[in-house]
Amino acid sequence: MKSTRGRGSRGLAAALAERRILVVCGSGGVGKTTTAAALALQAALEGRRVLACTIDPARRLATSLGLASLEGRPRRLDLSRLAARAPGALWAMTLDTRRTFDAIVEKHTSNEAARRRILENRFYRQVSSALAGSHEYMAMEKLLELSDDDRFDLVVLDTPPTRHALDFLEAPDRLTGFLDTSVLRWFLKPYFVAGRLTLKVATRTGAFAFELADRVLGLQFLQDLSEFFLAFEGMYEGFKQRAGKVHALLRGEDCGFVLVAGPARATLDEALYFYRQLREKEMPFVGLIVNRVHPDPLSDAGAVPRTPARIEAALARGLLRLMEDQARVARRERRGIARLEAEVSDPLILVPELDADVHDLRGLREVGELILGGRSPSRQTKDGLLKRRFAPQEN
Amino acid sequence: MTTFSFRFAAEVGGAEDAVALPLVELKGLILAPGPCLPARLRARVSLGRMLLDDLLSRRLVVLTGKGGTGKSVVGTALALAACARGKRVLLVEIDAPLEASRYLGAAPVGGREAQIRPGLFAVNMDPAAVMDEYVRRVVRVDLLARRVLASPVYRRFFAAAPGLPELMVLGKIMVLEEQRAARFSSRPRYDLIVVDAPATGHGISFLKVPVAASQAVPVGPVGHNARRILSMLRDAERTALVLVAVPEEMAAVEAQELHRAAVDELGMEPAVLVLNQCHERRFRREEEAEILRLAAENADGRLVRGVGLRAALSAARRHLRRRKLTQFYQTRLRRAIPLPLVSLPYLFDEDLGPSSIERLAQRLEAA
Repeated sequence: MKSTRGRGSRGLAAALAERRILVVCGSGGVGKTTTAAALALQAALEGRRVLACTIDPARRLATSLGLASLEGRPRRLDLSRLAARAPGALWAMTLDTRRTFDAIVEKHTSNEAARRRILENRFYRQVSSALAGSHEYMAMEKLLELSDDDRFDLVVLDTPPTRHALDFLEAPDRLTGFLDTSVLRWFLKPYFVAGRLTLKVATRTGAFAFELADRVLGLQFLQDLSEFFLAFEGMYEGFKQRAGKVHALLRGEDCGFVLVAGPARATLDEALYFYRQLREKEMPFVGLIVNRVHPDPLSDAGAVPRTPARIEAALARGLLRLMEDQARVARRERRGIARLEAEVSDPLILVPELDADVHDLRGLREVGELILGGRSPSRQTKDGLLKRRFAPQEN
Repeated sequence: MTTFSFRFAAEVGGAEDAVALPLVELKGLILAPGPCLPARLRARVSLGRMLLDDLLSRRLVVLTGKGGTGKSVVGTALALAACARGKRVLLVEIDAPLEASRYLGAAPVGGREAQIRPGLFAVNMDPAAVMDEYVRRVVRVDLLARRVLASPVYRRFFAAAPGLPELMVLGKIMVLEEQRAARFSSRPRYDLIVVDAPATGHGISFLKVPVAASQAVPVGPVGHNARRILSMLRDAERTALVLVAVPEEMAAVEAQELHRAAVDELGMEPAVLVLNQCHERRFRREEEAEILRLAAENADGRLVRGVGLRAALSAARRHLRRRKLTQFYQTRLRRAIPLPLVSLPYLFDEDLGPSSIERLAQRLEAA
C-alpha cells in the first residue's frame, strides 16, 4: 500500500517538473484550489517559472495565496520569505471573462466599426460577463494564449467543480460543433436580422422556422443573438482554429490532468465519475489525490503502557467517546478510499487533514510537501508537520 | 430528549460570546428546550422556532454556498423539517451526478418528480430535457414538436447558447411553484420547493441569468419569462435564499462574497446563513484545561485496554483546534454577515444515511 502511494507522488512530481500545463480538477470543496496553488508553488521552488491560474469564478485562489484579490492579469508573488533565493518564480491570476472576451475582439477584428458593433451589442454586453458558460469559452482562449507566453514554463490551471470542469473540457468541441453546422447559417438568415424583419419570408420552410422560433424564444431574442453572431462573422474561422488547437493542447504530451477528491463518499464517487470521463476522453492523467484524510486515533495508538492513566473517570469516558467518533469517521473514509482504489488503475496520493486552515504561502508549501512526499498520513502526524499552532488571522 | 438537554447544556457552556450579542443576532441560534434552560435564554428558543417557521412558510428555498459545504445535506434536512410540519415538499437538484435521495435511502429519481417519502418529492432536472418539454408545450402540434426536437440545429443551439439552460431550469421551477394541487384548488401542488443550486461561482451566475436576460432581451418570451422569474426570486414572501458555509477560511470568504453579490447584483435578500459541520463543545472548561496540561506534560498511561492516553490526548487536541476554528468563524461570520446564523453539527456517523439527515432536521426543528 505504501509503495503505491509513493509511486503516485513520484509520478506527479515528474509531471510537475516536465509538463507545460497542469489542469487540476475535481468536485467542489475538496481543496482543489489549494492543491493547485500548492503544486504551482512547489514547481516554483524547484526552479520553474510558474503561473497559477483559476477559471473558477468564485475567485478562491486569491484567498489561498493570502492575497485579497487577483486581477485578470498575472501578478508575480514574492517568494523571498520562503526561500532567500528562490530559483524559480510564481505568478497568479484569475480569469476575467469580460476582459478576455474584449481582448479577443480587439485582437481579431479587422476594423474599428466591426469592433464597435460587437462591443456595443446589447447581447454581448450581457453574455460576456454575466452568463454561465462563457467562462469556459474564455478559459479556453486564455489557456491558449498563456501556453504561448514565454514568461512561464508551467501553467497550473484550477477549474470549477466537477460538472463544470467537464464543461470546460467540452467547450472547444462544443464551440466547433456549433460553428460547424447549419446553426449559424440558420441564424444568419436575413429575416432574423434587424431592419430586415419586415421582409416577406419567401419560402414555406422559412416561414415555418420563423413562426416556430418566435413562439419558442421570441424574435427579439433571436434577432439580438443573430446580430451578435453576425458581428462575429469574420472571426469564426479564428475561433474554430483556436478551438482545434486547445483540443490538441489538452490531449498532448505537454499537458497533465490532476484529479482531486475529498475523503467523503459523495466526493469519492464524483471523483470516480470524473476519472472515467478523463480516461474515456484520453486526457493525459498524471495524479489522483485524496485530500484531507482523517487519521484513526484508535488504530494509531502505538504501544500502550500497562500503568493506568491518572485522570478522572468522566474525562476518560469523554476522551474515549471522542476517539470512537473520530475512528468512525476514519473508517467511513477508509472504506470509500478502498472502493475508489479498486476501481482505478492509477495509484492514489493520500494527503492528511491539516489541523489549521491553509491560506498563506507557508501553509501551501506544507501542503505541497505532503502531496509530493506521498507518505502515509499516520507517519506524518508524528513528523510534527501537523502540529503547527493554530493562529486564526482576522482579515 | 435527554440527550438533547445534555447537548444543549454543553452548547450554552461554550456560548458566552453569543449571549453577549444583541438579540437580533441570536435569533439564529436554534436551541433545544430543557429543564436546564435559564430563563433569560428561553426567549431564544421561540426565536429559533420563528426563524424556521418563517423560512418554511415561503414557497421557494434556494440553497447556495461553496462546494463541499453540504448544501444538499442541509437542503434535504430542511425538506424533512418541512415534511414533519405536514407540508408537501419538492426537492430540486440540477443535473446532479449523485442525487440527494440517496441520503434517504431512496433510488435516484431522475428528471421526473417522484415521491421518495410520504409528502416528500424529488427531481433531478436535466436542462436539455426541460427545454424539450418547453418546446413541446409551446409547439402544441406533436408532429412539429418532434421535428424541432429531432433537428441537429436545435440540439447544437441549446448546447451552445449561453444562459439558455439556466433560464429553462429556473422557468420550470417557476412553473412548479405556480402549479395548483387540482384544477380549481387554491392549494398549491407543492407547499415548498427546496432548490439545491450549483456551487457559489456558478450558483451566482445561475441566479444572475434572469437579471442578464431581462436586460438583454426586453421583449418576447425570453425577456418576459426572465422578468417573471426575477420577480419571484426577489419576492421575500415567496423566496428565501439560504447561504451555506462551513467553519473554514475559504467557505467563510465565499459566504461573505455571496451575500454581497446576492444583495448588490441579484437584488435578493438572503434569509439565513447555515454554518454546517460545526464542532461542538464536548468537554467542560476544567476538562479542557486538564487535557492541555496533560498534553504539555506528555502524560501517558492506559485509558482502557489497548488505548493509550497519549493517542487520546492528541485526538482531544485535534478536536479542540477544530472547536476553536468553529467558534472563530461563528463569531466572524456573525459580525461580517447581517443574517441569523444557524449552526449544524459535524456528523461522526459511520455512514450518512436517513438517520443522520433526520437528526439534522431535528436540530433545525429543535422541538
